Amino acid sequence: MQVRVRAFARLREAIGGDLTLETPQGTTMSGLLAAVGDVSRDAHEALFEESGELRGYVILMHNGRRVRRAEAATLTLAEGDEVALFPPVAGG
Amino acid sequence: MISVTRDDFDLNAEIDRVRRPDMGGLVTFLGVVRDEGGLEAMELEAYEEVAVKEMETIRDEAFAKFPIGAVTVIHRIGRLRVGENILLIVVGAGHRKEAFEACEYILERIKESVPIWKKEIGEGGERWVPGDSGK
Repeated sequence: MQVRVRAFARLREAIGGDLTLETPQGTTMSGLLAAVGDVSRDAHEALFEESGELRGYVILMHNGRRVRRAEAATLTLAEGDEVALFPPVAGG
Repeated sequence: MISVTRDDFDLNAEIDRVRRPDMGGLVTFLGVVRDEGGLEAMELEAYEEVAVKEMETIRDEAFAKFPIGAVTVIHRIGRLRVGENILLIVVGAGHRKEAFEACEYILERIKESVPIWKKEIGEGGERWVPGDSGK
């Protein structure tokens, strides 16, 4: 199935722009994050600590709704879903 | 009106758009790019569709919390030079106190949760402005 990944601000720069990833049925948010990290060394370093933990500042969204990081391991994605990754906001 | 746009806005036109005879106060907040440490420009980026929805939610919260009559929020994105407008909030209410309180509430909530980011561009290079909140 295909999942669209959008990244913003410094995460967009690290990942290199929007992605459409081909993933197996039943891929979870955690699985998708690992796949994004596999895109490049910069992407991996931007998303993950050396320990493999998702970096503290990364905010996750699924189809426009925030996802708590505790949910990432169990949230199952579907064909055509949009996942967004971004650092803390700074508008206004 | 709630919008995220690359275009500048006309302050008087936006105030006139919300002005009504029952409003005794129209509080306006105008955010502009500030010259600080050799800053030349600011590049603003948004997750546009989510940013608009989030600002609509914030407007609805403001209507629920304060006795106000109108809210306009316009947030600009793209490359903006020092002195250019970034953000306009107009709140119209029967009385000034509610209008001031609602305007500040909307501003603080925007800084906290609307997916918009700023990159400072100046003599020393480029730098993403750290966010106010990781919530």
